[in-house]
Amino acid sequence: MRTALLLAPLVVVLGGLFGGALALAVAQSLGFAPWFGVRAFPDPSHFAALWGSGAFWASLGLTLGYAGAATLGALALGTALALALGRAFRGRGAARAALRVPLVVPYTVGIALAVVMLGNGGVLARAGAALGLLADPGDFPRILHTHAGWGVIAVYVWKQAPFVMLVVGAGLAGMGRETREAAATLGAGPWTTFRLVTLPQIVPALTTAALISLAFNVGAFEAPFILGGGHPDTLPVLAWRDFNDADYTRQLRGMAAVVSLVIVAGAILGVWLLLYRRWERRVGRA
Amino acid sequence: MTHPTKAAILALALALPVPALADAAAERFREAFLAGEAGWPAVEARAREEGAVRFHHWGGSDLLNVWLDGVVAPAMAERGVALDAVRLTATKDAIDLVLAERGAGRGPGEGSVDLVWVNGENFATLKDQDALFGAFVPLLPAAANLDLTDDPRAALNLRDFGTPTGGAEVPWSGEQYVCAADTARVGRADLPATFADLRRYLEARPGKFAYVKPPHYLGNTFVQQAVYALNPDGTGAEPFQRSAAELGAAEVARLIAPGIDYLAALEPLLLGGPEGNARYPEDEAALDGLLGNGEVDFACKFGVFAVATGLLTGAMPEGAEQFVFPEGAMIKNKSYLAIPANAPNPAAALVLADWMTGLEAQVSKLEAVGYPAGIDGWMLDPADAARLDAASPGLVGVTQAELDANAAPDTNATLVDVIEAVWLERIERGSDAALDEIVARAFETVR
Repeated sequence: MRTALLLAPLVVVLGGLFGGALALAVAQSLGFAPWFGVRAFPDPSHFAALWGSGAFWASLGLTLGYAGAATLGALALGTALALALGRAFRGRGAARAALRVPLVVPYTVGIALAVVMLGNGGVLARAGAALGLLADPGDFPRILHTHAGWGVIAVYVWKQAPFVMLVVGAGLAGMGRETREAAATLGAGPWTTFRLVTLPQIVPALTTAALISLAFNVGAFEAPFILGGGHPDTLPVLAWRDFNDADYTRQLRGMAAVVSLVIVAGAILGVWLLLYRRWERRVGRA
Repeated sequence: MTHPTKAAILALALALPVPALADAAAERFREAFLAGEAGWPAVEARAREEGAVRFHHWGGSDLLNVWLDGVVAPAMAERGVALDAVRLTATKDAIDLVLAERGAGRGPGEGSVDLVWVNGENFATLKDQDALFGAFVPLLPAAANLDLTDDPRAALNLRDFGTPTGGAEVPWSGEQYVCAADTARVGRADLPATFADLRRYLEARPGKFAYVKPPHYLGNTFVQQAVYALNPDGTGAEPFQRSAAELGAAEVARLIAPGIDYLAALEPLLLGGPEGNARYPEDEAALDGLLGNGEVDFACKFGVFAVATGLLTGAMPEGAEQFVFPEGAMIKNKSYLAIPANAPNPAAALVLADWMTGLEAQVSKLEAVGYPAGIDGWMLDPADAARLDAASPGLVGVTQAELDANAAPDTNATLVDVIEAVWLERIERGSDAALDEIVARAFETVR
């Protein structure tokens, strides 16, 4: 009873705002939009049109590709940083503080930084031209605005690696150094220690950090909108484009894209948690 | 994700049941004003009572934003009205808001948008959905500055992208689509004047041009110009003044085929094209950035005085000059101020619209923002007309006579969406279906 009372404010806010918006998105994607004079509920044709187009699957592939690559990058970099900061060295405090800066800097600022630094008229391009390495700043290799998505992935990794570092670092600190030192004493090399001792210890932290990063990356709009390669866009951008189309009925297809995104993200979350529970049971933590 | 979610939350909030009590006083005021029964002093008195006006406008120009805060707000304060300028990234947001609120049962006096800076398809949508305050323009004192007869010089006062304005929006600004180049990088003699020249230029310098991506209006306009210039009958803009329904899908497909095919074939020569992924800037700011960075050699947008003001603010490179492109098909239009039917402060909106169309506002807007006048010089007395002329920031590299000689009208609003849909399908999505088929599909999906 007490727990229920304590949780109530959160449930009301999440259920009301998020749940309400989600219900409305589902209703709209199924043809409920009386304010545009559309009263076709339930009408699955918007999903049929969306899922029947090759562009949707290309978008889904890009969305998952950028999100997955960025999450893996952030996990690898964040774990390495957490391990490095776990040792004592001169300037550790300063390094730790500097590495936390991206956590408080908004994504949009990171995106602007990417444009300013990595763009074809950006600082690196101009420096290259000024040093005579390039005939013209425009000749700088294209990093942003390509479907390879280097710019998008770079911004995600820049922002999320410190987050992973923090979560994994907290996990490591709670664990203490004893097991690792014991392994080293017994003759394990650094790689073996990491693989057999450290990694299993930080799996819960990695899972949490990876899920949060991945969920954000799948649904993020700004970075692929500003730094992406144009058509085919990632799903959130596709949804926005449909939503902004002059043809008001396209907004319903945009809503179908939003709902598809929710389905994909929900499926990833479900499968992930299922696998994680299984792993926990296997290693005897359940 | 941000935008769809926000919009969904907004739509949800608005869809909640609202007491269906129309603001009877606002409705009476509207009827009395439109019937000519409320005199202007009564409008001003009611505006003071309302005390505020919410002006929704595209907020991407610093010069305009500063002018609204520094000049318009004090002028409105003198009239007892606080100006609340709502800056939008796209005008369509205000249209969506008006329609969503009306859909939620908010009638006269109960909306949240008093005045919108608008033209083209956005106005056509408001009109289509019967969401406009009514024919207020002839009743404004400042209507004396506008030629509302059928004088061909004043055609844009009565028709907005072919849609009759019906007095429901007042001309506020004028613009023409002009291209600018940095002559420090490109010789004037090399600049293209026709679409054939443009192709030759890009064959020699691939990747050094880009146009804004439709459905942004700057992109739509560029596509329309290509369609006009390459019209197979050689009649330019003329057939595109008729509505989609009048022309029919087959005729539209025939008329736009050369222009669309040209643009499709041009894609590999556009910015990023040589690397296999042509890149279209999303908006005006991105386009300006490309020109300023030298990523493109020239760029086209609405901006008769954009180079002059850009040189003043330092936003344009010192060698920037305008040039005529494409010959005979430089689209010229006006933009307007419209009052939605459910404006919460209709009298204050009328007072603001009237002040904005007055001589003082037009002169100071031209000087400070560099937006051409929306009022008609020949309706003013000679001294006032001279003041308006003198306020112009000036043209750089082109003459007014050249601009006038190459001017072309907008595309009919019903065709704008069709041409946009065809561009998106044929060029962005790379559909290889026959153009007839694509146009027929666009006719079906676009209202």
